[in-house]
Amino acid sequence: MLRRESDYHERQSQLNGVRPDDNPGDKYFRTYNLVKQWVESALEVHKTELKRLLWPMFVYCFLDCVEEYVPKEAERFFASYRKQFETEHSDDIRALSLLRYPEHTRVNDTAQIYLNNKYRVTLSTAAFSTLIQHIEANEIFGGTQALVTIQKYFNIVTVDRAASGEDRSLAKLLSQGADDDMPREDEGIPGHKPGSANTSSNAPDRLIKVNLGQLPMEPELMEDVKAELAAEDAANPPGPGRNTLLDEFEQRIKCEPTDDAPSRDTLPLPPSLARDVAMEVQRVKENRDRFRIEGRTGGVAPALSVTMFTFHNTFDSLNCIEFSGDYTLVAVGTSESYIRIWSLTNEPLTSPLDPSTHQPSSSRRLIGHSGPVYALSFSPSLAIPQAEGGPDTRLLLSGSQDGSVRLWSLETFTCLVAYNGHASPVWDVRFSPHGHYFVSASADRTARMWSTDHISPLRLFVGHDSDAECAIWHPNSTYVFTGSGGVERNIRMWDVNRGTAVRLFTGHTGNITSLACSPNGRTLASGDDKGDIMIWDIGSGRLGKRLRGHGKGGIWSMDWCVEGTVLVSGGADGTVRVWDIQGAVPTDQGKVVAEGGQGTKVDSVGVNGVGIVGGGAATARKGKGKEAVVSPEQVSAFPTKKSPVYKVKFTESNLVMAGGAYLP
Amino acid sequence: MSVWNPDNITDVAESVGIHSLPKDVVDHLARDVEYRIAQVLEEALKFMRKGKRVTLGTQDISHALRLLDVEPLYGYESTRPLRFGEASLGGMERLFYVEDEEVEFEKLVNSALPKVPREMSFTAHWLAVEGVQPSIPQNPMTNADGRSQDQRSQDLIPKTSSSTSDGLSVKPAVKHVLSKELQLYFERICAAILDDTVPNHSDLRNAAYASVRSDTGLSQLVPYFMHFISDKITHSLRSLTVLTHVLQLVAALLDNPFLDLAPYVPSMIPAVLTCLIGRNLGTPADGMAHFALRNLASSILLRLLRKFGNKAKSLRPRAAKSAVKAWLDPSKPFGSHYGAVLALTSIAGTDGVRSLIVPNLDVYDGILREGLADDSRREHAEAVVAAIMKALQTLEEDGSGSHGANGLPDGQALRQKLVDAVGEVIGNRVFETGGSALIAAVLEKDLFA
Repeated sequence: MLRRESDYHERQSQLNGVRPDDNPGDKYFRTYNLVKQWVESALEVHKTELKRLLWPMFVYCFLDCVEEYVPKEAERFFASYRKQFETEHSDDIRALSLLRYPEHTRVNDTAQIYLNNKYRVTLSTAAFSTLIQHIEANEIFGGTQALVTIQKYFNIVTVDRAASGEDRSLAKLLSQGADDDMPREDEGIPGHKPGSANTSSNAPDRLIKVNLGQLPMEPELMEDVKAELAAEDAANPPGPGRNTLLDEFEQRIKCEPTDDAPSRDTLPLPPSLARDVAMEVQRVKENRDRFRIEGRTGGVAPALSVTMFTFHNTFDSLNCIEFSGDYTLVAVGTSESYIRIWSLTNEPLTSPLDPSTHQPSSSRRLIGHSGPVYALSFSPSLAIPQAEGGPDTRLLLSGSQDGSVRLWSLETFTCLVAYNGHASPVWDVRFSPHGHYFVSASADRTARMWSTDHISPLRLFVGHDSDAECAIWHPNSTYVFTGSGGVERNIRMWDVNRGTAVRLFTGHTGNITSLACSPNGRTLASGDDKGDIMIWDIGSGRLGKRLRGHGKGGIWSMDWCVEGTVLVSGGADGTVRVWDIQGAVPTDQGKVVAEGGQGTKVDSVGVNGVGIVGGGAATARKGKGKEAVVSPEQVSAFPTKKSPVYKVKFTESNLVMAGGAYLP
Repeated sequence: MSVWNPDNITDVAESVGIHSLPKDVVDHLARDVEYRIAQVLEEALKFMRKGKRVTLGTQDISHALRLLDVEPLYGYESTRPLRFGEASLGGMERLFYVEDEEVEFEKLVNSALPKVPREMSFTAHWLAVEGVQPSIPQNPMTNADGRSQDQRSQDLIPKTSSSTSDGLSVKPAVKHVLSKELQLYFERICAAILDDTVPNHSDLRNAAYASVRSDTGLSQLVPYFMHFISDKITHSLRSLTVLTHVLQLVAALLDNPFLDLAPYVPSMIPAVLTCLIGRNLGTPADGMAHFALRNLASSILLRLLRKFGNKAKSLRPRAAKSAVKAWLDPSKPFGSHYGAVLALTSIAGTDGVRSLIVPNLDVYDGILREGLADDSRREHAEAVVAAIMKALQTLEEDGSGSHGANGLPDGQALRQKLVDAVGEVIGNRVFETGGSALIAAVLEKDLFA
C-alpha cells in the first residue's frame, strides 16, 4: 500500500492526539480521512468503484457528528470536505449544510432519509476485501469508527468481477474516467435491485411482469371505426402510392403485439360515443398523412419543424403552458392563481352562460384557485374537421398551491368540480390518455388517481420519500409514472389496478422535472433540473442512455414523436433539442455513452472536421462541447430568444409545438 | 460561528424580559435559528422551481411557511424585489432594513395614474422548418455561415436576477447584446474608414465599404453605425476627408440589400443634410473642395429619398423646408446656398424647381450680384449659379414647358423679360445659353400668370 509521507506525519500527530478526553468530533475527521486517503491512493483499477464510497461516508460521518452534539466540529467537518461533492450532490449539500443539532436531523427530510436507510454501494469482491483489510489494519487511526459506520449504514453488495461479465469488466471500469462520475443506477438510498421497486434486501431477483402493450380497443368501437373508415375511403379515395385508411388501421392493429397487452377489463372506461369513433378515425387519418420520421439513416438527422408560441408581458408569472389535443386552445397557469385560455385560431370563446352584454374575445380567464396554478391538463381530443361548432376539447384540469385539483368546462368556462384530497400543493395533474381518469402529484409525497365523476381519489400511490413532482400516464392507461425531487430523485412506476409500485428508476442527480413515455409504451424518458435526460427501458427497468446537452435549469417538458424514435425536449436554457433515440435498449449506441471517458476526445475530433455521428447541427455544437458535453444522440438544438421553453408537444402528424415565455 | 448574528437572540430575549442569557444558550439558539431559516429557504426554493423562475420571491417564502405550518409573514408581499437599506450603528455593526419610500400624500393624489401594465399575449413563429432555423427576427441571430451565435451571446448576458418583475414597467427594457465577433467587426470597419495613417489605406477602406455593402448579418450593427455616422459628422465638420468617408459609409449601407434602414432614415437625413447645406465644411484652406462633398451628399440624399420617400410621407416636405430656408438666408455662405439648391433639385425634382427655385430667383438675385461683385467670393457664387442653371436644365429636360417658343419676343426684349422674371444674373445666363426650351421653361410661370 502506497502512502505519502505527509500522511504519515499527520497520522503520527493524530496518534499522539488520541486521549481518553479526546474531542468527540475528532474521530470523524480521522475516520473520513482514513477512507479518503486510502481511496485516493488505491490502485486505478479499484479507484472508480471505491470513489463511490466517499459521499456516503461523508454524509454519515457528518450526521453522526451532529448526533453527538458537537456543532462546531460538525460545521468544521462539513466545511472542510464538502468541496469534492459540490457538483454531484449540490442539493443535498445545501440541505445538510446547516444541520447542527440532533433535533435538526430528526426533522430534516434529507437527514432522515439517509439515517433510516442503508446506502447501497456495489463493489467488486477484490476491492471490498482490500477495503476491509485496510480498515482493520488501521483500527487505531479511525478504523474502528469506519467499521461501525459501514456496518450501521452501508449495504455493500459485492460482485465477482469475472462472473458478472462485461458489465463490470476491467476495460469498462478503466474507460470510465472522471467524466462519468455519476452514481450507478443501483446505488444510493433506496438500495434496490436495478429497476425493481422492492427495496428489501431479500427481494426476489425477478421483476414483476408489466403489460406494456396498447390497451385493446372495444370490439364495437373497432367495428364502428372500420365502417367509418371504409366510408371515408369510398368518399375520398387515396392518391396513388398511399394506403387506404382501412389498410392503415388494420396494419396498426396487426403490428401491435397482443401478448403483453393488458386486458380490457382491467380499466373500466365509460362506453364509447360517436365522438370516440370520430377521434379514432381522425387519428388514423393524421397518422397516415403525417410527416414520417424514419430515424437517422446514414447520419442524416430527421428534419423537424417546430412552431414556437412565445408569451409576452408575463412578468415571470407564468407557471405552465398547455396545448389542447385539437390545437385550438392554449392555456396557461399563472402565479396569480388564475388560468387563462386563448384560442389558437383566434375565434371568440363564448359560453351559453354569457350575459348578452358580454363582449366576445379570443381569451378567457378561469378564476377559482387560491394559490399559484402549477399544472394544467386538457382532456384528450383531436382536431376533427367535421365536428360541429366550438372547440372539441371539453375539459381542463388544474392543480394549484391551494391543494385542490379543479375541473373546468370549456363549453361554459366555469369550474365544475374541485377535488380536495391533497393536503399540500399539487405539483402536477394529468388526464389519462383514454380520458375519464386523471392522476395528481403533490407535495404531500403521494400521487393520487381520480376519476372525474368521483370527488375522492380511487387510488393513493404512496412510497415516495419526498415530493412527487411530476406524473404521467403510460399510453395504455394502466400504469402511472411519478418522479420525485428533493432528496430522493427517483421515478416510480405504479400499477393503477393494485396501487403498488412495480418499477423504480434511480440515477438522477437533480430534481426530476419532466417525464415522457414513448408511444409504444416500452421506453421512458426523464429529465432533471441539472439538464440531464435519461432513457429507461421499462420492461427490464434498466438505464438505457444518458443524454446531455441541455444547460442547467429544468427540462420542463419532453415528448416523443409518433414513431417513438425521436425525443424532443425544451427547458430553462431556452432551447428546444431534438434527440435521436433509435432502439430503446442500448446496443451499439449505448457504448458511446459508456465510453464517456473519451468524450472529450470525441469532441476534439469533431472540431477538426472528421465526421462524427451527430450530423451537421451536432457538429456545430461540438465547439461548445468543451465545457458542456453534448451527447452524440442530439440531432439539433434550436435556441430561442431569451425564452425558456415550458412545453413541447408532438402533434399526431409529427409537427412540434413549443411554448415559452419571453423574459427580457 | 453562525452567520446569523447571536446579538439578535440577545435582543429578542431582552424584549421578552430575559436579561441574562448565557453565552452558550445564545450560540445554540443562533445556530438553531439559522437552521430553521435554511429549512424555510429549502421549501421556498421548491416553489420557485415549480414556478419555473430563477428568482426567489416573497410569495415563495409565504408558501413555504404555510407548507411548514407556520404563520406567514404579512406585509412583505411584493412582486418586485425588495430594496434593502443599510445603516451603520457605529463601529462595525451594520443594520439592514427594508427601505420604505416616503410618499407625499399631496403628490400621490395629484399625480397621474400609473400606466397599466401590458396585457399578456402570445405570438407564434417558426422556430425550425425541416430542421433548419429560419433567420427571422423572432429567432436568435445566425451568421451567414449558418453557425448559431446565440449560445455565445447568451453566455454574454450576465445572469442577473430579473428585476423586470416590476409590475409597473410598461416597456420591458430590452437589452441589446452584441456578440464579440460583431463588436470586433464594427471596430475594424470604423478604424478602416477613418484611419489615414497607414499607406495604401484606400485598399483597406474600399474593402471595408465592400463588406458593408454586401454582408448579410449586419442588421444588429445598424444602430451602432447610425450613431457612428451622426457622431462623426457633428464632430468632424472641419475635416472634409472624414466627412467624405462617412458619407461613403452611408452610401455603402444603402447599397446593402439585406438591411432594413427604414427606421433609421430620420436619423440619417440630418447627417446628410449637414454635409449638404452646412455653413462651414472643411477649413478655409480647402477652397472649393467642399463643393465635391456637397455633390456627394446630394446624390446620397437623392438615393435616400428614392428608397424611403414613399414610406415616410413627411420626409420630403421637411427636408425641402430646411433647404429653402438655408438658400434664402443671406447670412449663409455660398457653399450652403449651393448645397441647398442641389438639395432642392434632388428632393423635389422638376416640380420643386418650378415651384420652389424659379419663383425665388428674383429675390436671390441681389445676393448673387453682390457675391459676383466681390472677388473673394466670386468663385463660390459662380458655383451657385452653375447649380441653379443645372436645376433649370432639369426643367428643360422635363419637357413639360416645351409647348413651343410661341409668342416669345426676340433679342433684348426677351432678355429683359427673363431678367424681370428671374433676376439679372440668371436671366442673362439663361438668355446666353439660348436654348428656347429652357427659356420657355423659365418663363412658363409668366406665360400662365
